[in-house]
Amino acid sequence: MTFKLMIVDDSNIIRGKISRTLTQHRMEIVATAANGEDAIKQFSANQPDVVTMDLTMPRMDGLECIRKLRRMKPDLRILVVSALADKATAIQALKEGAQGFLCKPFSEDDLTDAMDELLGETHG
Amino acid sequence: MFRFGLGKYRTIIISITLFLVFDVGVLAMTFLISRQIASDAVSLNLAGQQRTLVQQLTKTALLLEQDATQGIIDSSGNSSFSELKELIGTADLFNATLEAFHQGGRMVDGRGRVELTPQDDIQAAAQFKLLEEMWVPINVELQKIKSLKSNAKPDLGPLLLVLVADNLNLLTVSNMLTSRMESLSAAKATNLRIVQIAGITLALINFGFILYYFLRQLRTSDHAVERAQKETEDILRTTQEGLFLLDTDFRMGMQTSHALSKILGMSDLAGRDFLALLKPIVTPKTFDTAKEYIELLLRHDVKEKLVASLNPLDCIEVSSPQPNGAIESRFLNIRFNRVFDAGRVTHLLVTATDITRRVRLERELKESERKVQDQMGMMVHILQADPSLLQEFLRNAIKGLDQINEELRTGTATTGMSAKRIDMLFRISHRLKGDANALKLEAVAQSLHAFENLLDGLRANPVLRNEDFLPVTVRVKGLYAEIHAIQDALTRVAQVRGVVTVEPPKPVQDPAIAALPFVQQWRSFAQEIAQRHEKEAELSYQGLDLAKLAQPLRDAINSIVNQFIRNAMAHGVELPGERKQRGKPAAGRISVYVSDAGDGFLELSFRDDGAGIDPEKIRVAAVRTGRLDATAAKLADMRKLISMIFEPGVSTREVVDEDAGRGVGLDAVKDMVTRMGGRVRIGTTVGEYCHFRVQLPLGAAAENANNMTDVNREAA
Repeated sequence: MTFKLMIVDDSNIIRGKISRTLTQHRMEIVATAANGEDAIKQFSANQPDVVTMDLTMPRMDGLECIRKLRRMKPDLRILVVSALADKATAIQALKEGAQGFLCKPFSEDDLTDAMDELLGETHG
Repeated sequence: MFRFGLGKYRTIIISITLFLVFDVGVLAMTFLISRQIASDAVSLNLAGQQRTLVQQLTKTALLLEQDATQGIIDSSGNSSFSELKELIGTADLFNATLEAFHQGGRMVDGRGRVELTPQDDIQAAAQFKLLEEMWVPINVELQKIKSLKSNAKPDLGPLLLVLVADNLNLLTVSNMLTSRMESLSAAKATNLRIVQIAGITLALINFGFILYYFLRQLRTSDHAVERAQKETEDILRTTQEGLFLLDTDFRMGMQTSHALSKILGMSDLAGRDFLALLKPIVTPKTFDTAKEYIELLLRHDVKEKLVASLNPLDCIEVSSPQPNGAIESRFLNIRFNRVFDAGRVTHLLVTATDITRRVRLERELKESERKVQDQMGMMVHILQADPSLLQEFLRNAIKGLDQINEELRTGTATTGMSAKRIDMLFRISHRLKGDANALKLEAVAQSLHAFENLLDGLRANPVLRNEDFLPVTVRVKGLYAEIHAIQDALTRVAQVRGVVTVEPPKPVQDPAIAALPFVQQWRSFAQEIAQRHEKEAELSYQGLDLAKLAQPLRDAINSIVNQFIRNAMAHGVELPGERKQRGKPAAGRISVYVSDAGDGFLELSFRDDGAGIDPEKIRVAAVRTGRLDATAAKLADMRKLISMIFEPGVSTREVVDEDAGRGVGLDAVKDMVTRMGGRVRIGTTVGEYCHFRVQLPLGAAAENANNMTDVNREAA
């Protein structure tokens, strides 16, 4: 089964890395966004199943964006991909409705493992 | 939908069902047989009644006959009407009873209406049939009398005739029938008892089985529960980790591992509020984050594996008072795993581990890595620094540290140290720090800065005790180590590059070691040969006291060093004038160093700052002595040529004297070292130095050393 993925991160490099890695991992990249506002717009147009979400972004931060996306689609799977500088914010994001957290920097294996775990397809 | 599975209760349920079946069976049989017995009792009663009726009929008939004979009966027969009526009534009752016996049905006996069942016993049936047959003629006569009009005079003669004739027979048959009915009834009562006994016995056996099975199951279950409890207890008592369950109200479970109290530094933990316990030992921010994190695991749909990295309690530092009053700082790792029941998170399994050792090791590793980086940086600066300035700094540093050490030793013994003296130490340190910074020896400068901070702290303290100076002493030792490390680094750089000029011109010697007899002997020997060749020599030694080594090893080293001294003074070290021209001190410098390499070998390092080994001279000598022909000598590389100095008969000296020229000495050294299981390496740069490194096994055989006894006398 192929999942539709939206990548939300203000770093072009990170977006590229996630995109390259997950394209080879049964994911169809339907949208990318560099901030929360853009993510909301892209979401309505593309209706992804899964979102990778940075927390610290311009205009609308990740927390606010998660809150809105969950209201738009309660069963949306969200993986927070962020640095571990502020654990409290990351925990807050999970309480707002994200299901997993992946710490930056991450390897390709870290990302695919986290995605499998998020979608309930753990290996070994 | 309700699903009924017998499961482990299958046997017990079957047993109980059987018990009930037995009981119900016995009850049903008892009911059935007792009904039959009751029916038989009626039959028995009626059979007895028939016997009485026969007698009553005979008696009534005889009374009627007597009345007729005595003329009591008138022409209408009215005077005997009641007796006649009784006769007919008796006959009707007999007939009705017979009919009931024959076909079954309701019947009136002396106690009222009773139920009769047809008699199916063959013997009883035969007796009954006989009774019927005997009754037929009597009944015929009785029916005739019964059919008479009420005012007609009955003729009782024929009736009396048959009654008298069959009365006894009827009585006998009735008695037999009664007896038969009694025996049938008794047999049924016996059957009933057997059925009851058998049924009750089976029920009791079944009950016993149930009891046995149930108790055995109970015992097995109890054993399993006890064993499980024991295993749990063993695990909780033995594990080195602090384990407990945390419920959704953040309350700790009643069972905790024994190690938990020690890890958390608290007792009586069962049932306590975990957050209340956590609050005083972590920062407010960590506490808030930890509370959120635990709530996240308990109440939110997150992936446990994917949030583990957010655990704020993965490495927390806690302080706890020790019995001696000191405060001990430790590092704890507290992690959480969800416990599910029917798909819901009911608890968190909390694992607390003391990771102090791991954290400290990691820090030491980081510190070590930092030092390595510092040393690398220092090596770069050493390579870039002015050698003479560097040497001067090292000398000054050792001198300054010696001064500080002396102050600490004398000042703190009894009277403590005055602020004035501390100021002096501060000034020494500050001066050295300035020098280190100038040479870009940042690691040393930082260490000296830390040392100044220590002294600064002491200056602020009005009352100083001896133990207050303990950290100062430790820091001074560390500074000594750093300076020596730089000296070692310098030596290594010199060995690698062959740059003699960066080596300490006069290595710092321990006066006690310099005064050792064997060092004195080497020095004297060097001077003696130097004088013989109009040269000058200074020998310095660092390392082990040879007197502490085994005799054979000591002798071997002594012989080898003597040979190297002879070789250096005869070949390597130049005449004073020549040395001056090359920018070297007039006196040739010989450095000897013996150390335990730590791998079972002893290492002897012998270095002179003479002219080194000239491979071209060896090439010539090899051809002259016939070791190589002209072609081979031309093709030989530098490595090959230099290694030839260990071959017998090869000497670069054309003139033989008492110290050189025969090509024997180094050959003998190599031979001995080889036989002892060691090896010799040589490094040299023409015009700069010659460095021999000999490795000898610490357990070298004694006999090999003796082979060198004549080496000195026959030196090449």
